[in-house]
Amino acid sequence: MAHTTDVRDTYAHKLGNNRWGLWLFIISDAAVFIGLFITRFILLPGQRPELDQTIGLIVTVMLLASSFFMYRAEVHMRHGNLKAFQRSILTTLILGVIFLLGVVAVEWQIAHFGPADGQEGAIFYVMTGFHAFHVLTGVVLLYWVYNNSKRGVYTKEQHWGVEAAAVYWHFIDVVWIFFYPALYLIGTVA
Amino acid sequence: MTFLSTGFVRGLIAQALGTLAGFAFVTGIRALSGLEPFDPVEPALVSGFAVGALAFLFGVGVFDDWLKWTRGISTSDHQEHDPEKPWWYRYLSVDFDHKVIGLQYGAAAMLTMGIGGSLALLFRTELATANVDFLEHFIFGQIFGEDHTGASLFNTFISLHGMIMIVTMLLGVGALSNYLVPLMIGANDMAFPRLNAFAFWVNIPGAIVLLASMFAGGFDTGWTGYPPNSTGYSAMGVSLFMLAVYIVGFSSIFGSLNVIVTIFRMRVPGMKLFEMPIFVWAAMATAFIQLIATQFIGLSFLMVILQRLFGMNFFDSTAGGSPVLFQHLFWFYSHPAVYVFILPGLGLISELLPVFVRKPLFGYKWVALSSLGIALVGYFVWAHHMFTAGMASYLRVPFMYSTLLVAIPTGVKFFSWVGTMWRGKMRFDTPMLFVLGSVVVFLLGGVTGPPNATVASNLHLHDTYWVVGHFHNTMFGGFMFPWFAAIYYYFPKFTGRQMNEFWGKLHFWLMVPAFLVMSTYQMLTGLLGMRRRIAGYDAALGIEGYQVIVTWAGFLIFFAVIIFAINFVVSARRGEVAEGNIWKSRSPIWQLPNPIPLHNYERPFRVVGEPYDYGDPNGHPYVDLDPSDDAPDEPTTPSDSEEQQAPGGADPAPAPTGD
Amino acid sequence: MRSLVNLIKRYGEYVFVAIFVVLSTYALGAFLTAGAANGTILPLQASREAVEIDELFNVQFWLIAFFFSLIVVFMLWSVIFHRRRGEDDDAPGEDFEGNSTLEIVWTIIPLGIVLALAVYGGSVLSNIERRATDALEVNVIGQRWAWRFEYPESGAVSSDLVLPVDRQVLLRMRSDDVIHSFWVPEFRVKQDLLPATFGDEDNTRELRITPTIKGDYKVRCAELCGELHYAMLADVMVVEPEEFETWAAAQAAECDLEAADCGARWVEQYGCTACHSFDGTQVVGPTWLGLAGSQVLLDDGSSVLADEIYLETSIINPNDQIHEGFQPNVMPVNFEEQLTEEQIAEIVAFIQTLGE
Ligand code: HEA
Ligand code: HEA
Ligand code: HEC
Ligand code: CUA
Ligand SMILES: [Cu+2]
Repeated sequence: MAHTTDVRDTYAHKLGNNRWGLWLFIISDAAVFIGLFITRFILLPGQRPELDQTIGLIVTVMLLASSFFMYRAEVHMRHGNLKAFQRSILTTLILGVIFLLGVVAVEWQIAHFGPADGQEGAIFYVMTGFHAFHVLTGVVLLYWVYNNSKRGVYTKEQHWGVEAAAVYWHFIDVVWIFFYPALYLIGTVA
Repeated sequence: MTFLSTGFVRGLIAQALGTLAGFAFVTGIRALSGLEPFDPVEPALVSGFAVGALAFLFGVGVFDDWLKWTRGISTSDHQEHDPEKPWWYRYLSVDFDHKVIGLQYGAAAMLTMGIGGSLALLFRTELATANVDFLEHFIFGQIFGEDHTGASLFNTFISLHGMIMIVTMLLGVGALSNYLVPLMIGANDMAFPRLNAFAFWVNIPGAIVLLASMFAGGFDTGWTGYPPNSTGYSAMGVSLFMLAVYIVGFSSIFGSLNVIVTIFRMRVPGMKLFEMPIFVWAAMATAFIQLIATQFIGLSFLMVILQRLFGMNFFDSTAGGSPVLFQHLFWFYSHPAVYVFILPGLGLISELLPVFVRKPLFGYKWVALSSLGIALVGYFVWAHHMFTAGMASYLRVPFMYSTLLVAIPTGVKFFSWVGTMWRGKMRFDTPMLFVLGSVVVFLLGGVTGPPNATVASNLHLHDTYWVVGHFHNTMFGGFMFPWFAAIYYYFPKFTGRQMNEFWGKLHFWLMVPAFLVMSTYQMLTGLLGMRRRIAGYDAALGIEGYQVIVTWAGFLIFFAVIIFAINFVVSARRGEVAEGNIWKSRSPIWQLPNPIPLHNYERPFRVVGEPYDYGDPNGHPYVDLDPSDDAPDEPTTPSDSEEQQAPGGADPAPAPTGD
Repeated sequence: MRSLVNLIKRYGEYVFVAIFVVLSTYALGAFLTAGAANGTILPLQASREAVEIDELFNVQFWLIAFFFSLIVVFMLWSVIFHRRRGEDDDAPGEDFEGNSTLEIVWTIIPLGIVLALAVYGGSVLSNIERRATDALEVNVIGQRWAWRFEYPESGAVSSDLVLPVDRQVLLRMRSDDVIHSFWVPEFRVKQDLLPATFGDEDNTRELRITPTIKGDYKVRCAELCGELHYAMLADVMVVEPEEFETWAAAQAAECDLEAADCGARWVEQYGCTACHSFDGTQVVGPTWLGLAGSQVLLDDGSSVLADEIYLETSIINPNDQIHEGFQPNVMPVNFEEQLTEEQIAEIVAFIQTLGE
């Protein structure tokens, strides 16, 4: 049997497929966050939950900074600078964990309300909870990528795993850029 | 004992163990933190079934390769097959071949259809009389627990019937697009074969959880699950039902993602978008809907579960929540979803008509774009299910306008079909009969839509059997009948044999008239005042006779499907051997031998003509499966040389005009 | 001569098809609209809104008749006359691939039709929502699975809806528990009741109806609201205005009867009869026949004497003690707010008359 290679079997083409797939996934996932965002303004028009502004600011800065390091990590990888890559991705990871702890271990504990306390509770916990779940999966993904890089899975030319983790991480970050003002800034305290 | 080693069985065992583990985990935590461990039992049950579903996926083995990847181990592109194993082994285990997955989807769809249809017969028997009597029978108490009354059992049955049938259609759509799309665009598989397997297998634990809801108290909410009925008042079956829908949703999302990437990236080099078989356009439009809209039913059901389990108040209006918000989120999926059910079916009608009429598809571009048009407009009409729901009343008129607009692209399809049939040379093999039946039945469903969409008349029609008639028309015409047409038509492609024509025609002549009787009387009783979702009705309405007719018609449909099932099995074993292109189709699928070889096309084919040029017997064929033979000095695809790089994504195959 | 035959051959077909489309449309449309007029397809037309809506229905029946005929007649014509007759399997049909003019025509014309339908539909909607200044206000309260109607003008409370003929009624609706839907098929209009507490304007919904024909109808709950959704009915009586006034006055009057007789009245008005029978049949709740003074078996295995105290707590706090074989959380828990202490005592007295 004649075995033929066509374009569709090349690495470059598969990489393209993967990019399409990832972006479509992100579009789909974004829909949930849009749904939550709309829900928030329908259930609490003109108001916002009473939250600790300092913590909100700290975690937000952490997450934004992590996105910067993620970007650096990818650049290092493209230049084949493995050590710098690992340093940056570890930083990203740690900042991500700090964000998670800040939200789940601190903000959730000190909030004046639980999930069952009115609209504030319902909205705050579902939005941060859903986002935190995504951050958690992102952290796991980063850890895998970090681990694989130590095994030498990625090269300057072929590092789809790194790219995917980076895009996903930036996505989570962008979501928070919308969620932070929606939860902490817009409206008067209920 | 091969059977016990299939992925399916391993998955089931894992699901059972996982469910127990999840259940024990939550009860354990509750016991440790000093709470009553079994009261309420719902959190433990929900977590049990969630863990169980995940465990199934590990057990069946869809994650195996991905787990390897995360550890940096690469896997081979082609799956190994053990020739020792019987043929069915592949079908009960994880397999990456899109044809296998397509058939898996199809078999699962038939199974759920059988369950959902049987439930319909149970509650239809109840409705044959005005009082609630049949479901009060003690047998049902034995099966479903004594505290079920006939009325609540009825509610559970209609709700499950609705949801199971919807799952059936989603599975059927998965079957069609997985099986047909790669073949039609000349690919050897989907873009992401493993994701494809995942998208199929996630349905199985989902379906099991869905059925389990029946035994966990059932639910009195309908498939729409509106709060606060579903949050505060219904039995905990509703949590399992919603969890099941959430799980099955992953199938839609990842399946559709795969379809889109496959269509845009895996077409044979040289095939332009407007050269694709028309079904592929329908599959694309369907996937665009599924990809985004599915998230909203997931979100709305998740919020109901959260409200039930943790008391998070989203939907209780007496405490500041909004039940109408749920309906918006729910219908933002569930309206577009109705186009998910029909677009592939309508695509099939457009695909098969030209073959049996021996004429080109009338207005290919218009038909192709009308699918996208329906999908697009479909996103802006959801609130037509809520005209009486108490949403802001100034929204009703805009939604009436947008809804009525859907008639335009749908009309384009109908007129184009008529244009295709006009002055053809029609043949009436069984697939064609079902195509013609689909057109009439779906038309009936379509034209009963505008009265629903016009607010003033909707005020009468909403939540009556008129609506029930409307949607059975659309779903039978848009999904069920095309689905049967597709099975009769493509049967040789996976069995190498042909289905028996006599029994096929009997199936048709029983099912379509019976269906028309059923839906007509449903609509009539609805206009006269028959409400939806009622276990008993007021005999004073004078509709008892009609109800009996509907029930009998339902049973006839059931028998017709039984005939089909027997025909299917017998023909697969002993049917007439089908050699080659039995329908004389131009589609590349039919240029392949029956059954289709493992890796589809030996080499990428070349598009040399138009897909539906049946009117000109001397014209070009659509594709040339062996392009290297007749054009040796014109390397049209990079397949000729092993090392060749991708040619910049450009279109390498100039459309040959006169050779 | 020859060319005429050819001409007929070429275009005669369209003439015939057109004739059949017209005939079929006429037959179908006439059948549907006649059925609507004589009550075999639509229920009695008993309100001003029904008249408007039925006109809209007629237009829609004609549209259905036309488009259904259009497609089906063309299709059947092709099936009958454009079939393969003894030719080869692949004998080709006529070779045309499309026609952009036609496509545009059958995009534009339906577009015009649906826009016209939408404009007309919108005007019917605004007509049926028109407000009369002298509308009679009625508060409609739905609860699983009973209806209650309060007449603020006269203070009447009832589980039947009694309306004066030819006067607009403004129904202000809310639900005590889940979503219900108010529908009287003869009036054609429907509105869901959202859960709301008394006075919660955000979740109270309105519906206006002008009954035009005296007679008895039924409110039929049209939104699945749980087990007994099918049985959530209430009687509607459309009567002469004078008759309405006397009825309302009687309903509103202080109850100056014997305690038990007053109790019987409250039981009717507050919808207890939806779930409790007086004659021994078990509905959703325990029958009251022989209840008072009996030993009631509870679902925790114990039993209590159904004395005054038990009956009273059962009404105020139904979930405290659950009668064996019945479900908790079914009986509404808000009767303490709805009824005065005196009314409850009178109900208890009434239940006692049904006792042993
Ligand atoms: C496969 C599924 C399917 C399809 C395709 C449709 C198609 C349409 N549906 Fe239907 N619908 C359902 C499935 C479907 N529906 C279901 C399941 C429900 C109930 C859900 C529940 O509550 O459980 C429902 C309910 C439903 C409602 C809510 C009813 C209520 O509960 O109050 C409405 C209201 O507008 C509606 C409208 C329409 C319209 C306008 C179309 C249009 O797309 C139809 C367009 C087609 C045509 C019009 C025919 C062809 C066109 C021509 C020949 C051109 C010329 C025609 C004209 C100018 C009129 N549908
Ligand atoms: C694809 C969708 C689909 C299909 C095919 C059907 C099929 C049928 N439906 Fe259903 N129906 C719905 C979707 C569907 N329905 C939905 C979404 C609802 C709304 C639910 C809600 O309100 O919440 C509904 C509600 C609904 C009602 C309204 C209930 C109510 O509100 O009171 C009624 C009443 O008559 C009804 C009747 C029937 C009948 C008699 C059939 C018959 O055609 C059934 C005949 C039986 C079969 C088709 C199965 C035969 C198969 C086998 C025997 C297996 C063979 C095995 C192999 C081949 C392997 N259906
Ligand atoms: C929606 C249905 C429903 C309605 C309406 C309803 N009840 Fe009940 N009722 C029940 C059910 C179910 C029980 C049994 C469960 C329990 O003991 O709480 C019950 C129990 C009772 C009992 C205790 C009887 C026994 O045998 O233990 C009394 C007394 C009673 N109801 C009075 C009333 C009165 C008075 C009203 C109206 C003002 C009313 N109910 C309206 C469903 C209803
Ligand atoms: Cu109240 Cu249905
Ligand atoms: Cu819809």
